[in-house]
Amino acid sequence: MSFTKKPGGKALDILQNLPRITLANLRPEPGTKKAEKKRGRGQHGGNRSGRGHKGERQRGNRPRLGFEGGQTPFYLAIPKYGYNEGHSRRAQYQPLTLNRLQYLIDLGRIDPTQPIDLTQLVNGRGVTIQPQKRDYGVQLVGEGAGIFAAKVNIEVQMASEEAIAAIERNGGIVTTGFYDPRSLAVLCKPVPFFLSGQPIPKRMLPGEDMVPYYTDAANRGYLADPEKIQKARIALAQKYGYVLPDISKDELFHMLFMRKDPRQIFFGLSPGWVVNMTEKKILKPTDDKLLQYYNS
Amino acid sequence: MSYQEHARILFSLSLSLQKQTLCIPAGEAKSGILASTEEYKFVEQLISPSRVPFPPKHDGPSPFGWNPPSEVPLALPHMICRSRMHNVPASEKDVKEYLQQLTGKHLPTQVNEVTMTFRVKGHFDTALKEWLVKKGF
Repeated sequence: MSFTKKPGGKALDILQNLPRITLANLRPEPGTKKAEKKRGRGQHGGNRSGRGHKGERQRGNRPRLGFEGGQTPFYLAIPKYGYNEGHSRRAQYQPLTLNRLQYLIDLGRIDPTQPIDLTQLVNGRGVTIQPQKRDYGVQLVGEGAGIFAAKVNIEVQMASEEAIAAIERNGGIVTTGFYDPRSLAVLCKPVPFFLSGQPIPKRMLPGEDMVPYYTDAANRGYLADPEKIQKARIALAQKYGYVLPDISKDELFHMLFMRKDPRQIFFGLSPGWVVNMTEKKILKPTDDKLLQYYNS
Repeated sequence: MSYQEHARILFSLSLSLQKQTLCIPAGEAKSGILASTEEYKFVEQLISPSRVPFPPKHDGPSPFGWNPPSEVPLALPHMICRSRMHNVPASEKDVKEYLQQLTGKHLPTQVNEVTMTFRVKGHFDTALKEWLVKKGF
């Protein structure tokens, strides 16, 4: 048998040898069409037609769903509580396991020699983010911390402690950064944004409720004090029992220390610039007011 | 090792050109825009690749547990190529035999000729993967 199989195979061979298909030649597969139940006909379907004997049941006058004959029904007896209140307004963070990250790096979909950003994750089809559905980014989850063995400079929106420990144990760097919804949409799909011809917006700072998260060194927040982050790294190494590798002596030292400015969305590109993809040029504003706005 | 030296990225400073006026007389068109091609390489990094990249070489199984296909092509009547995401497919007859050995039962399978796939009832994905990887696909 040849190793190239035609799609369709035997089914198509049969079709080619049989006469032309018409309505007279077709029949549904046995078992797909079940006969409809006809009420009020025949010895067993007739008489009361499956409605029972007298009363509301036979006369079709039963009360509404949930009515319990006058007793306070279940759906009114139980008190209300706002479990799902505002659920559609809550921020969502798509989880990214270390298992998945390792898989992506192993299969070459993500390059560990460059800083890993949400754009890189989306380009490598590692995660799917829907900024329009209240997604605020990606969260790093510690599942797979045991097998994780890659040295990366990764920037996410949230990270669990085990995930941070696993990455730092391998000599990498984690940062958590905030992206407002518009910046997130731009970050996830940069090419359609550049094609629209708008200047790169400046990233907004986090809202009141998220500022404590992003200024905390334990979360490796991008607004946290670098010295406190260094202390937190040492403390985490002691807590999880590993030796913190010295990154300053690493060959990829420069790449590992690349971080974005809090107002910057892309590495190397400032807010206010317009990208022209057809001519491969970048247009920068020179007006003082614009510069003042974008550099603030 | 201090983050302070590397925590901020410098913005480019522009030259002070003439400010943009509302009515630009003909012949004196000075735009308040600087064009440059130096930073375009950062834009190129953001463009998504259109083809699935080739996995880099690993010695033996990768940390995730993914095994690359064997370098030497095996002398078999049929070739099974890796799926587009470099994962492992399977062929029906062999799978049926193997599963029969494994479970001692004759398992129901359904073949879809058009899409060249088939389904087996039951949870066998890890066992099947290991078996195929051993075979060298």
